[in-house]
Amino acid sequence: MVQKRELIKGSSDSLLLCLIAQQPMYGYQIIKELETRSQGYFKFKEGTLYPALHRLERAGLILGKWQLLSNGRPRRYYHLTAKGHAKLSTERVQWQDFIKAVNMILQPAES
Amino acid sequence: MTTARHHYLEIIRENLKIDLAEEKEVISELETHIEDRLQELKERGLSEEEAERTCLGLLGSAKAIARQIYEAHSQGSWQQASLAAMPHLLFAALFALNWWQHVGWLSIVTFMVIGTSIYGWWHGKPAWVFPWLGYSLIPVAALGLILPYLPREWSLLTIPFYFLLALWWIICLLIQTARRDWLLSSLMLLPMPIIVGWFITLAPGLKITAQTPERINYFAPWIALSFLILALTIAAFIRLRQRWLRVSLLIISGLLTLTLVVYYVGGRLNVQTFAGLILVMWGLFLIPPLLERVLRRSRRIWQRYAFFKPSQQ
Repeated sequence: MVQKRELIKGSSDSLLLCLIAQQPMYGYQIIKELETRSQGYFKFKEGTLYPALHRLERAGLILGKWQLLSNGRPRRYYHLTAKGHAKLSTERVQWQDFIKAVNMILQPAES
Repeated sequence: MTTARHHYLEIIRENLKIDLAEEKEVISELETHIEDRLQELKERGLSEEEAERTCLGLLGSAKAIARQIYEAHSQGSWQQASLAAMPHLLFAALFALNWWQHVGWLSIVTFMVIGTSIYGWWHGKPAWVFPWLGYSLIPVAALGLILPYLPREWSLLTIPFYFLLALWWIICLLIQTARRDWLLSSLMLLPMPIIVGWFITLAPGLKITAQTPERINYFAPWIALSFLILALTIAAFIRLRQRWLRVSLLIISGLLTLTLVVYYVGGRLNVQTFAGLILVMWGLFLIPPLLERVLRRSRRIWQRYAFFKPSQQ
């Protein structure tokens, strides 16, 4: 359980950047998307999402913009910035290399 | 909004201690999140109370969220750190380069201190403006020192007026700062015990005499060094994220600089004066959090009154 939490903690920034890259999203939507797409594997403690989003925003990787919905309620949608796109590309390559390396050890190639 | 939700968001608001505009956005964002989650839980068949309890439970500790958001927002850029350290560096330069004797340089520094303080105050009170605000109190104190040298009738007339005005200005400044974050008040007041320490050394009996300029010249490198330490402290303060590290830094640096002052003046400040200055420093560190607590309590009472008022009608 601790290992899983550590894995999620280590990859949370990449996961958030990846989701926001697909379309601008608001906090609650991000939580739902993560849960649905990972079939319940990634369950964020909801309160920890906003500090993570604000940290990414301060780093210039995402940008929050308020949008007024048709029912008059404001929502803060997060958009990926150019810096965020560059960071995500680097992290994607790193993850793919990492997964490939782990797979090579866990599933040795059949000789 | 029900009391549990209101109370939850209020705890976050009280512990955020970030820019007021940012604070408003954070609360609004969390409020929208709570509304979305509540709607979903109620659609699943939960009652209002159950939905609210579940929703707040899913969000987690209000204080932990506030602390994490504070840490995400608190770290200033290197530019902000330089801007915050600048008033200390200017004062260090005044003494290191012997500019303190030139009215022109003194006027430029005073103008910069007052101008930057006013600019920062009216532009969202960012963290870098508080060291400037601390130095803006020096012209006020200097004016008070000049008053006893005025003709007797004039000083009798102006001194009470000056004291009331200066006290009003300092209290206003402290209240406004403590409303945002008591730590920024401490940041603002940090140089005060050190300046008082140097003043007692340079003007014994709080009297400026013909020997005072000579003494300032003698101690100028050490005065510059103490301001340089303050500048480094403030720059580090702005770059740090964790609150406990910031508090520790201010306390350690304040005590270290004060000890340096006493060490370099070599016997001109006795143990009692040193102990007195340490007490002043502790006072300056303790008054802002106490003031913040009083302000928070009065705000809670006011909000409770405002919250229940419509239902009483």
